[in-house]
Amino acid sequence: MAVNNVLGIIFSNASDEAVPELTSLRTMGSVPFAGRYRLIDFPLSNMVNAGITKVGVITNSNYRSLMDHIGNGNSWDLARKRDGLTLLPPFSAPTAGIFSGKAEALYGSIGFISDSGKDYVLLADCNIISDLNYEEMLKFAVRKNADMVIATANGLPPHLPNIMQYVADENDKITEAKYIDYFSQAVDHSLRVMLVKRTLLERLLHEANAKRIPDIEELIVRNVGNINIYCYRHEGYVRVIESISSYYEASLDLLNADVRKALFDPERPVYTKTGDRTPAIYGISAKATNSLVADGCKIEGEVENCILFRGVKIGKGAKVRNSIIMQDTVIGDNATIDCIIADKDVTVRKGKNLCGAPNYPVYIGKGIVI
Amino acid sequence: MARKPECIAMLLAGGQGSRLGILTKNIAKPAVPYGGKYRIIDFPLSNCVNSGIYTVGVLTQYQPLELNDYIGNGEPWDLDRANGGVHILSPYQQIKGTEWYKGTANAIYQNINFIERYDPEYVLILSGDHIYKMDYAKMLDYHKEKNADCTIAMLEVPWEEASRFGLMIVNEDGSISEFEEKPKNPRSNKASMGVYIFNWKKLHKYLVEDEAKEDSGNDFGHDVIPAMHSNGERMFAYQFDGYWKDVGTINSLWDANLDLLNPNVDLDLDDDSWKIYSKSPAAPPHFAGAQAQIENSMINEGCEICGNIDFSVLFANVTVEEGANVKYSIVMPGTTVKKGATVQYSIVAENAVIEEGAVVGSSPEDMDNIDDWGVAVIGHGVTIGKGAVVPPKAMIDEDMGGKE
Repeated sequence: MAVNNVLGIIFSNASDEAVPELTSLRTMGSVPFAGRYRLIDFPLSNMVNAGITKVGVITNSNYRSLMDHIGNGNSWDLARKRDGLTLLPPFSAPTAGIFSGKAEALYGSIGFISDSGKDYVLLADCNIISDLNYEEMLKFAVRKNADMVIATANGLPPHLPNIMQYVADENDKITEAKYIDYFSQAVDHSLRVMLVKRTLLERLLHEANAKRIPDIEELIVRNVGNINIYCYRHEGYVRVIESISSYYEASLDLLNADVRKALFDPERPVYTKTGDRTPAIYGISAKATNSLVADGCKIEGEVENCILFRGVKIGKGAKVRNSIIMQDTVIGDNATIDCIIADKDVTVRKGKNLCGAPNYPVYIGKGIVI
Repeated sequence: MARKPECIAMLLAGGQGSRLGILTKNIAKPAVPYGGKYRIIDFPLSNCVNSGIYTVGVLTQYQPLELNDYIGNGEPWDLDRANGGVHILSPYQQIKGTEWYKGTANAIYQNINFIERYDPEYVLILSGDHIYKMDYAKMLDYHKEKNADCTIAMLEVPWEEASRFGLMIVNEDGSISEFEEKPKNPRSNKASMGVYIFNWKKLHKYLVEDEAKEDSGNDFGHDVIPAMHSNGERMFAYQFDGYWKDVGTINSLWDANLDLLNPNVDLDLDDDSWKIYSKSPAAPPHFAGAQAQIENSMINEGCEICGNIDFSVLFANVTVEEGANVKYSIVMPGTTVKKGATVQYSIVAENAVIEEGAVVGSSPEDMDNIDDWGVAVIGHGVTIGKGAVVPPKAMIDEDMGGKE
């Protein structure tokens, strides 16, 4: 199977409720991450690097920032006449407007899926950060002649609704699918990445619509004995954003060289919208250690264990530690910041002192002046 | 019929820039990297779109591969237009034979057909050799206001440097009374920036006449403009105030990069109203390691810094290992400076490797004779071996063995 025979679908709003602070004004897909990216850049680039040329992005609500970010898709080489990137907002018929589950969302776009003519559909969420290689997963599906392949990882399951545990036989064929009730035990849980034959997906979606089943997971539970579902075990890096503190941890994880190596393989770059800013500028008496610093930053103070997004300004004598500072936020002279997540365009005035705790970072909303 | 552009730009990008030595061995001068993420040509191209000029012909000749590849469809500068946009214009075969671009004026002459397709009122002639931010729309307004046939952008240079430039003696109303080409005893400090606006019909006539002259060098500065002047055409000088630098030599390229680190220099690349656009690599933000010491420097995406950086400009994906020192230097994309190595007062081209303990360049203060000092240059892909010493002013184009 040629990889361009796969349609990619990304759920930009999936698990929005897990981090209400960050998603109150945006989709999960447009949550800023790693200094210059939005979460959607990871599954989207992964698809492009696997040779997929047609991608639909399902949106539900608050997707203006997402539209602004993906534009016509040219940053991912997806501005094309044949195939390319399509935004799929809620469709008013046949289901009514905003949907509640993924099956419902997909049913609203079933025309797009059928018309793609692709053999397979790859479904992915935005809040699971991993170095899962979609191309390898596609090859696995072909090798197994699978109807459906679900990517799984072994470990403590994330606290997200509808996270599934899968039991597979020695050939990786899934024999049992169940909802997880106990979160304290390591299991093979889903990574919310699924590759499915398009015709099968269409059949399942019609079934879901007829029986009023909103979630795709429920469809799997009902059909696990009837179809060839395989599990693709991912053994590399995984972080799931399931709360604001897991967002904080996943961000600071990037200060680890092995994690950066896993996520930013030069052979499989992560693409994003360019900002046309200057390289970061360090002033006299600037000091930055163990930090990730994006372009357009101006650093005149001290920075330690931080992620600085584009255009962040750190004033003279300011001390910023263990913090995530998003785009265009300004930390004034002599301010002291520790364990903070500052959203975009925040201003911390001169000499202010703000402190959270490592297990409870303080979140400062977009545009707030302190 | 699509809307006709009032003014189109022709950008002369065919120069070799031979004084940049090994830096322009495989690329034309306008493609030389500058300022941590840019190339020289980003400046005239960004100035064009910021001035509302969306039709640009780029005339290439010397080593055009990298330049063509870089410009691509013009998307980074918003020049991927259905109507207009950026066009690469290379010399081509004609019925009477094949000719290279003989001079700047001949390059435009050979592309008269291109300009005629757009049939503009005015043509802006630019070169791809300078770092500056300029609003060409204001210059065009001036040109129209003066009812000029030709307007030449000029800036006042320090008197002691004036003899290096083409100078103009300007009347009170802005009209040009005389030209002087690099005179020994300058009578003016108003230097030409190599930026011209012509009324297209007038220029067309002079280009055809110039081509017919057998003894002509087919150059704007030497032939076409003097001919227009001696025929009494309306020639005006447009004064530009601001940062402008010819980066034609190793020292001036080095200087112009370090100017970005000087807050007193009037060149703000972070100005939202006048962005300089460029093609960005897909690399993560740069990482400053636990041992890193970075001051007074510009660091681009993808760098991994564990050493000491001072007064330097680092392009994308440069690695500086622990204990390495980079100061007063320009390091281009993909280069690695290994443990304990020192790079000082140098320009290191792309994808070079400076092995452990090597020392590249030296500080002018350490010189017995200051005349022996100069910026050291390491060429594209060159490896400098362990513990090797590269003297100041050296240009290293081949791998250099270590001390083992």
